[in-house]
Amino acid sequence: MQSPVGQSYIFAIMSEISVERLYAARNQDLELTLLNSGEAGLNKTIQNPELHRPGMALTGFFERFPNRRIQVLGETEMAFLIRLTPDRLAEISAKLFDYDVPMVIVTKGINPPQAFIDAADKHKTSVFSCRLTTAVLTNRLSAYLDHIFAPSVNVHGTLVDVYGVGLLYTGKSGIGKSEVALDLVERGHRLVADDVVKITRTAPDVIIGSGSELLGHHMEIRGVGIIDIEELFGIRAIRMQKRIEVEVSLSYWSETEDYERLGVEDHRTTLLAVQIPIVSVPISPGKNITVISEVIAMNHMLKVYGENSAIEFSKKLSQKLGRQASTKDYLESDFE
Amino acid sequence: MLKKSVKIMNKLGLHARPSAMLVTVASRFKSEVFFTKADLRVNGKSIMGVMMLAAEKGSEITIEVDGADEVQAMEQIVQVVQSGFGEND
Repeated sequence: MQSPVGQSYIFAIMSEISVERLYAARNQDLELTLLNSGEAGLNKTIQNPELHRPGMALTGFFERFPNRRIQVLGETEMAFLIRLTPDRLAEISAKLFDYDVPMVIVTKGINPPQAFIDAADKHKTSVFSCRLTTAVLTNRLSAYLDHIFAPSVNVHGTLVDVYGVGLLYTGKSGIGKSEVALDLVERGHRLVADDVVKITRTAPDVIIGSGSELLGHHMEIRGVGIIDIEELFGIRAIRMQKRIEVEVSLSYWSETEDYERLGVEDHRTTLLAVQIPIVSVPISPGKNITVISEVIAMNHMLKVYGENSAIEFSKKLSQKLGRQASTKDYLESDFE
Repeated sequence: MLKKSVKIMNKLGLHARPSAMLVTVASRFKSEVFFTKADLRVNGKSIMGVMMLAAEKGSEITIEVDGADEVQAMEQIVQVVQSGFGEND
């Protein structure tokens, strides 16, 4: 099935973070202190979510050195560095920073030798001291970087939590996505984001949708203007983020298109390489999309819990047909 | 598909009123309209999206128009931006 999200409605977001932003955001949690004499290194950007311990590099082996990763030096690396002769230390430090690493973190609150920091200053690279152990730092920093670098896209659509199921509405501008969301909110469901939904893949099969800071829970209702759902309906009407479970694709009713009548087959769409069910709902006068939405959500839950109404019904029908056929056979063969 | 970059010239940037003008013009056409600023790309017919661009004076937005009436659509959208949305600053 064609999904509008699969085409031009989806806009990729590039992931990177500057050293300055990382420092400002995680400074407290990671207990970082900047050791450089200046702040020039804060302008560098981190483009790789992985961490690296440059043990081999410190011994002079720079082949396959992953220089785009954040370099983490622990007690072992430091013990090795202070054992080097001053010349060798200067040489290795210069070479390490010559590789244009994004930033260096030294754990356990250890202060690296001055020659090491001098080399970093020369190459405008930040060196941080961190009071945590390497293991704790690695855990916390990796979790944060995974979050920052998780694949994400912006989608033109509306995300509503209906009975705990995240329904992502897509469709042309003006088809009534916001109006459906408003109606759902009125019935006690919760708006996550209207118009621009940021989708992030947080696990191999989980996509989370959220709104933008600027738009918040504002929405435009044609003819009325911009309204604030949180102000109007209160805190119970909104949600900051929600796992997206079903895409509801709204389209204008077309005589020539065939719509799903049974629901035995599952139609699926792919968002950020995650497959989710898609339901295509044609809009026509007199159709209550709100109630249909609630049914889509409940039906999805039934399916998740192993109950497929369409399949159950179809089985029942087949059984009945089978029974009828055998009764008929019996009666027909029962001539005296 | 047509693509063109324009600079926001009015003093206050793409605030609410100019955004509304922009989507009103874009919505008159059948063509799909998208605006891009830096790495943010939004639907040109949705006012919330356009406001989300937060395009200030001097910033550049890329207009993409795709559809049967794309030539006229592009012409009118560009004209609205270049007129400074009728704001004389």
